[in-house]
Amino acid sequence: MNFLDYLATNSQQIVFLTQAHFLVVLIAVGIGSAISVALGLAVSTGEPDPRRFSLDWFATGIREGGLVFTAALLTVPSLALFALFLPITGLGITTAIIVLIIYTLYTVLRNTVAGLTTVDRAVLESARGLGYGRVRRLLTIQLPLAWPVILNGIRVTTLISISIAVVGAVVQGPGLGILLLNGISRIGAANSFYQVLAGTLLCLVVAAVFEIFFAIVQRLTIPRGIRV
Amino acid sequence: MSETTDQPVVETPQGAGKPDMIVLEGVEKIYPGSEAPAVSQLDMAIPQGEIVMLIGPSGCGKTTTLKMINRLIEPTSGRILLDGKDVTHVNGDQLRREIGYVIQQGGLFPHFSIADNIGVVPKMVGWDKQRIRERADELLHLVGLEPSVFRDRYPRQLSGGQQQRVGVARALAADPPVMLMDEPFGAIDPITRDRLQDEFLEIQRTVGKTIAFVTHDLQEAVKLGDKIAVFATGRLEQYDDPNTILTRPANDFVSDFVGGGAAVRRLSLLELSRLELHPIETDEKAVGNSNGSPVAEVDASGKPVSWRHLPGADAAGVALVTVPLSGTVYDAVDVMLDGSASLVAVVDEEGRPQGVLHWNDLVSGLRTRERDA
Repeated sequence: MNFLDYLATNSQQIVFLTQAHFLVVLIAVGIGSAISVALGLAVSTGEPDPRRFSLDWFATGIREGGLVFTAALLTVPSLALFALFLPITGLGITTAIIVLIIYTLYTVLRNTVAGLTTVDRAVLESARGLGYGRVRRLLTIQLPLAWPVILNGIRVTTLISISIAVVGAVVQGPGLGILLLNGISRIGAANSFYQVLAGTLLCLVVAAVFEIFFAIVQRLTIPRGIRV
Repeated sequence: MSETTDQPVVETPQGAGKPDMIVLEGVEKIYPGSEAPAVSQLDMAIPQGEIVMLIGPSGCGKTTTLKMINRLIEPTSGRILLDGKDVTHVNGDQLRREIGYVIQQGGLFPHFSIADNIGVVPKMVGWDKQRIRERADELLHLVGLEPSVFRDRYPRQLSGGQQQRVGVARALAADPPVMLMDEPFGAIDPITRDRLQDEFLEIQRTVGKTIAFVTHDLQEAVKLGDKIAVFATGRLEQYDDPNTILTRPANDFVSDFVGGGAAVRRLSLLELSRLELHPIETDEKAVGNSNGSPVAEVDASGKPVSWRHLPGADAAGVALVTVPLSGTVYDAVDVMLDGSASLVAVVDEEGRPQGVLHWNDLVSGLRTRERDA
């Protein structure tokens, strides 16, 4: 039995696992990005005046604290994090998605904060001078201008999530990890290498699909005036 | 400094009769954590339809003062009146929609088309789309940009000068009675700046806004201002028309700031159109009146070509040199030296004579002013 035969025989299972992998990543990145962007927007401030105490200080504290905290989470080995959530959320897709969400937070939050703070100050000042309130300025000026940077963060985090989702198989999370784990655990047995190979190649396919997806999203959502 | 609260610090003839559009009463700004006020107890009134140039060295409070008018910076104390209405405590965002605001390089929104940039304030105050579109086209026309070419472009596709014009158009969009300009032409090359300044004056003749304009360029202040307010470390040192500022500085600070010692520098600040010129005759009947005005020979289009008669001088021996009315005394001196002429005919845009400037008048005139100061 060669590799193509293997693929042909198991096509149904392989296609199902690939779809599952894609969906798990999509859901986790979707929720994680929504949380991070919302948090990033909520704690975005001007530059807090160092000489005066204000609400901006809290926002800055939450922002910097959030970045440190999510960065720390990112450094926890994924295998450990899946295991840590096991007693709380049990085996299956819930644990897989929660852990994936945790890993998306840092990159997207970091890029959201960076994107929002690097918007040209002259643009923001003229918006204020023309009578834009804080929320309107944030949503109609700052966010669209920061969007390319934020979208890049989401893109990077998606690629990372595709590989972390593989590890989700240890908690019986859906996806290509099942193929890989299965293959590795029976290595040397019949078709075990083909299983690993198929799992790896299809992860690349999932990544390619996401890249195409993001290319389209980028085209559709980045305003024409700032498109490069 | 004047302690009165409802009078301009210095009354000038130009201000008389017009109602004050912007009034600052005892306005003070102390930044948190700072001991000395950035602006202290400022009383200032800007009459309707006038351009007031706020000028001074860095950190003098001119920009703070400007931004307190639309409350981008909240004053620590004092009152701000706009068209007689106290706006010190009204909603700041609402207030700013009623005041035009232009900053350096326009501050255009890069992700909005030019038409959308111009339409931001009308959109916020609820104009319908059709009206906003027409207004954008009208304003593009006013600032000298062809609407069909520019309305759908994006800011990055425009040059700095073009962006600045759009910035002015955007500030004018909802037809605010008051405009605030924060060094709008500061980052633009000198040649373009000069042209923008001319166009700005042209536009102002059409729209007649009340304008507060921050600059660090004395040349610009003299050229554009109906009045100049000279600031030093939070205090208004002198508030007067450009001529008075130049010729009768109120104190040593202003005198130093305008470069009191450099008489030649002052020449380039004095525009010929601001001077009282001697009359010039082109009528043949004027000949024979030896105490009268100089008489010039004109060609078919009315341009002077030579002197027919000069009082107390031999007309044949003096070359006729001309300088445009839009030039400065510096230009006139340059032309006179160049042509070895003791007088110069000042001509308008069509080249027709408007008056005469004598070398002697100039020297005695300057001397007189120095004695006044």
